[in-house]
Amino acid sequence: MHRITNTILALRGLSSGVWVIATLFVISLILVLVRQPEQEGDLQFWVFSPEHAEMYAPLIEEHDASHGVKLDMTVMSIAAIQSRMMSGFFGGLPTADLIEVEKAVAPQAFMGPVDAIGFHDLTDLLLEEGLLTQLNEPSLSPWSVDGRVFGLPHDVHPVMLAYRADITEAAGIDLTLAETWEEYFRMLRPLMEDKDNDARPDHTPLSFWYTNQDLIETLMLQGDGQLFTPSGQPVIANERNAFLLATIVSWCVGPDRVAIDINEWSASGHQEKVDGLAIGYIAPDWMCSIWKMHVPGLEGKLKLMPLPAFEPGGRRTSVRGGTMLGIPKTTQQFDRAWDYAKLLYTSPEVARQLYREVDIISPVRSLWDDPVYNEPDPYFMNQRKGRMYIELAPGIPLRPSSPYNKQAAIDVRDAALNLAEYANRNSVYNAEDLIPEAIRLLDRVQARVEQRMSRNAFAAEDLAAGDGEAQ
Amino acid sequence: MSAGQRKINKWILHAILVLLAIVTLVPYVWLIIASLKGQDDFFSAIFLPPGDGAFGIGWDKLSLDNYRALFDLGFEVNLINSVFYSATTALFATLICAATGFVLAKHQFRGRNLITLVVLGALIVPPTLLLAPGYELLYDLNLLDTSWGLLLPLIAPAFGVFLFRQAVIQSVPDELLEAARIDGCSEWSVFFIVVLPLVRPMIGAFMLITFLGMWNNFISPQIVLQTADKQPLSVAIAQLRGVYKTDYGLLTAATVVSVLPVAALFLFLQKQFISGLTSGAVKG
Amino acid sequence: MSTGGVDSRRVVFSWVMLAPFLVLFLVFVVYPLIQSAFLAANQTFGPGTRTFVGTKNFELLISDPVFWKAIRNTFIYALGSLFVQLPIAFLLALALNSPKLRGRGIYRLIFFSPQLMGLVFVSILGALAFEKRAGLINQALDAAGINDLLVWVTGNDAWLEPDWLQQHVMATLILISLWLYVGFNMIYFLAALQSVDKSLLEAAEIDGAGPWGKLRHVIFPSVKPVATFVILLSMIGSLQLFELPYILLESSGGPDNKGLTIVMYLYQNGFDLGDLGFASAIGWVLALILIGLALVQVKLTRAQEVNA
Repeated sequence: MHRITNTILALRGLSSGVWVIATLFVISLILVLVRQPEQEGDLQFWVFSPEHAEMYAPLIEEHDASHGVKLDMTVMSIAAIQSRMMSGFFGGLPTADLIEVEKAVAPQAFMGPVDAIGFHDLTDLLLEEGLLTQLNEPSLSPWSVDGRVFGLPHDVHPVMLAYRADITEAAGIDLTLAETWEEYFRMLRPLMEDKDNDARPDHTPLSFWYTNQDLIETLMLQGDGQLFTPSGQPVIANERNAFLLATIVSWCVGPDRVAIDINEWSASGHQEKVDGLAIGYIAPDWMCSIWKMHVPGLEGKLKLMPLPAFEPGGRRTSVRGGTMLGIPKTTQQFDRAWDYAKLLYTSPEVARQLYREVDIISPVRSLWDDPVYNEPDPYFMNQRKGRMYIELAPGIPLRPSSPYNKQAAIDVRDAALNLAEYANRNSVYNAEDLIPEAIRLLDRVQARVEQRMSRNAFAAEDLAAGDGEAQ
Repeated sequence: MSAGQRKINKWILHAILVLLAIVTLVPYVWLIIASLKGQDDFFSAIFLPPGDGAFGIGWDKLSLDNYRALFDLGFEVNLINSVFYSATTALFATLICAATGFVLAKHQFRGRNLITLVVLGALIVPPTLLLAPGYELLYDLNLLDTSWGLLLPLIAPAFGVFLFRQAVIQSVPDELLEAARIDGCSEWSVFFIVVLPLVRPMIGAFMLITFLGMWNNFISPQIVLQTADKQPLSVAIAQLRGVYKTDYGLLTAATVVSVLPVAALFLFLQKQFISGLTSGAVKG
Repeated sequence: MSTGGVDSRRVVFSWVMLAPFLVLFLVFVVYPLIQSAFLAANQTFGPGTRTFVGTKNFELLISDPVFWKAIRNTFIYALGSLFVQLPIAFLLALALNSPKLRGRGIYRLIFFSPQLMGLVFVSILGALAFEKRAGLINQALDAAGINDLLVWVTGNDAWLEPDWLQQHVMATLILISLWLYVGFNMIYFLAALQSVDKSLLEAAEIDGAGPWGKLRHVIFPSVKPVATFVILLSMIGSLQLFELPYILLESSGGPDNKGLTIVMYLYQNGFDLGDLGFASAIGWVLALILIGLALVQVKLTRAQEVNA
C-alpha cells in the first residue's frame, strides 16, 4: 500500500507542464479515436478547386442516384494532390479513381517512359467515341506524350489583355487600335508622366516582370517561341527565343521601362491594380473570375482586347494554365470512372456553369455556340467576353508536353532575370543589343536541360521489362 | 561617472530596449488585426481599416468571419492532430529517453559502453540525411500516410537520451539508489519513485521542448502524411497558400489559431520552457 | 539470495528498459543510415524502383552549378546569422543582465517570444511583411526615409522599392531569422553571463578596469564556452535551413535559385522528382560538412583548454 502512496507522492512532484501535456494527450487521443472515418464510396475523385467541386456536386449526385454508384469527391490543394498523386505513382499508395490535375504538377506525372505514366491512355477511347475531333486540338497538347492523350482537357485558357479602359478613355486613347506591343507602349507613353511626384510613373503600360515565370512562358508562346520539338528534343537556344526574351526583358529595364511588377495574387497587388499602377494585364479566361472575386472595385473599369502582337500580323493570343482529368492506372473501375469523366467534362450544363461561375470556356467545340458565351459581362463594361475568348481559342499556341518543360521554363525565367541584371549592370536597355547575351544565356539553359535529360538512368525498355525493380 | 550621466544612460538603454520590443511585437499585432479583416480591407490599411467609427477607424469592418470560415473548412481536425502528435511525441519520447538515460548512466552490463558511444555518435548525424532512406523504409514497412509512420521515428531521439543520461549522472547519487534497494524497492520502483522525481526539472523541460518541436515540425509530416485529415496544422496551413490565389484572412486566422495554443502554454510554463530550451547548453 | 541472481535480474531489467529505445533507434536511425550509403550509389524513381549508378550521383552533384549555388546561399545565411544575429543577441543579454534594470523579465519574454512561432508560420508572416512596395517592411522603410537613404548611398534607384523576396532573398531570410532567433540565443548568453564570477568583476573594478576592460578580461573569457556552443548550434541549424525559404518562395528556389538551400535542393530531388538516391548523396555531403564543422569546433575548444 505504501508503495502506491509513494508513487503518487513522487508523481505529485512532477511539474505542471507534464500534467498539461498528459491531459492534452488523453483528450486528443480520445478525440482521434472517436473520430468517425468518412463513409467510403465506390469511387474516389480528387479536385483542387472548390468552385469546380460546387459545380460537379449536383451532377454527381444525380448520376450516383440513377446508376446506384457512389463517388466521393474530395477537395484538396494543388500541393496536396501533387504529393499524394506522386507518392501514389512512386510508392504504390492508393490514389483516387479520378484526379483533376493542374498543369503546374502534371509534368511530374509524365516523367519517365510512356509505359510508366500513372494515368490511363485515353486516346483510343476518345477516337472510338468521336470525342477527339470535338475537342479543341491545342487544348490536348499539354496532356499528350508521343501523340497519346492521358487526360481529358478541362479548358482552353486563351489569353487576352485586360486594360483600364476608364483611364485610357479619359485620356482619349483608343487602345484597340494597337496591333503590336510597340504601338501599345507608344500609345500609353503620355500616361506615364509622374504627376503625383512619387518618383514613379503614375500609370505603367503593362503589368509584367522578368521574374514571373508564368507570364514569360505565356509571352514566349505567343511569339512562337519553342523550347522543345514535338518529339521532345530541347531546342531552347534558338534565335526566336533569344529575340523574344530580349524583347520582354527590355520592357522591364532602363529609365524608360514600360512594365511594372504588380503581384498577381497578393492583396497588396490587388490594391495596386485598383490604384491604376498598371494599365494592361495579361488575362487568361480564368483570371477574370479571380479579379471579380478579389478586385471587385474594378467592376466597370476594365475592358478586354486581343493581345498586341510581337510583329504586325502576329498571333494575338496565347495560353496560360490548364487542367486535365485523368484516370490513374490503379483504378479498379475504369468504366465507371470514364462515365463520370465524360459527364463532368463534356456536358453542356457543366460547360455553361463553368463559364458563369469562373469565366472558363469549354474545350468542347460543339458547345461553343451556346448562348451563354454571348452574355454581356458588366465587370468588363458589358463586353461579350465569352465570344471574344472563343474566337481566339483555336489559335492558341501548342504547348510541349515534355516532362522537362516545367524545369526548362524555370531555367528560362532565370535566364530572363540574368539578362535583366546584365542590362542594368551595363546600361544596355535596347532589345536588339540584348540579343547576343540572351543567346549566351539560352545556350546555358539548353546545356542544363540536356544534362538533366541525360541523367535519367531509367531506359524505357528496362522499366517495361520490369528490370528497374532492382530491389 | 556622475549620477546624472548614469541616469541618462539608463534612459537611453530603456529607449533602445523599448524600440526593439516594439519591433518584435509589431508582427503579432499586425497578424491579429489582419485575421479580423475582410479580403477587401486587407491592404487598404496596414493595420486597422479606416472608417467612421471611433478614431476614424472602421471597427465594424473587423469580424471573426475568417475564424468561422476556417472551422467551416474543418480546421479543428488539424488542430486536434497537432495536439495529438505533439503530446504523444512529448510523452513517449520523455519516457523512453528517461528510461534509456537512466540505464546507461547507472547500470552495469555488457555492451553499455558501446551503446552509449553509438548514441553519442548519432548526435552528429543530421536528421536531413535520414529523410530519403527513412521515406524508403516507411514505404517498405507500409507506414506511409499513417500516424505510426510519423510518430515512431520521432519518439526515440538520441539527443533526449544524452540529456537524461547527463541529468541522472548529475542529480542521482548512487548511495540513494543503493539505500532504496536495501529498503526492498524493486528496480521498477527505484526508477519511478527515486529517479524520476530527482530529474523532474529535465522531465518538464524536455517534454515542453519536444512538444513545441513537434508542433512546429513541418518536414516530417509533409513527407509522411498525405491525407488531409491526418495532417497537423503546420502542413495544413502551408497548403492554404494556393498556387493561384490565397485567402489572406483565412491564412492569418489559421496562423493565429496555430500559434495561440503554444503561446498560452508558454506563458503558463515560461520558466520550464526556457530552461528546456537552454538545457542543451548544460556542459557535459 | 545470491548476488548472481540480483545481478542477472538487474541485467534483464536494463535490457527491458533499453528495448524500446534500441528497437526504434536501430530501425529508424541505424538502418536508414546504412541504407543511405547504398542509396547514394543508386538512382531511384520513387522508393519502389532503383538502379545502380555508382559514383555518378556525386560526380553530377559536383558538376551541378545549382548545387554550388545552394551551398553558397546556405553559407551566406549561416555566416549572416553568425555575424549579425549572435553579436546582437550578446549585446541584448548584456543589457538585460543588470539586476537593477526594471522590466527585464518582460523584455526577456518579449524578445524570446518569436521562438514559439514555428518556421512555417513565421514564413507565411514573412512573405506578407516583405512584399514589394505594400509590405509592412517596405512601408516602414519608406516612412522612415531609409529607402531614400539607400538610393543615395548605393546610387541605385531599385532601392526605392526593394524587391526583398525576388532580389534579396538571403538578406530577407537573415532578417527574418534575426527576429526569430535573437531572443533564443540571448537566453543562452544570459545564462552564461549569470555564471560570471562576481568577485572577479569586483577585483577588476578595484584594479581600475573600465567597462571595456571588464568585458575583455572577465566577461569574454567566462562566456567563451557557452559562446562556442551557441556558435556551433547556430551553424548546424543554419546549414540545415529549409522551411523558411521553402514556404517563403512557394516551394521553389526562387528566381535564379537565389534562395535555394542545400536541404531544399535535397528535398526537390528526393521528393519532388523522386530520386532518393541523389537526395542521399546530397545528404552525405551535408553530413560531412556538419561533422567537419563539429570536429573543428572540438579541436578549437581543446586547444583553448590546453592553453588556459
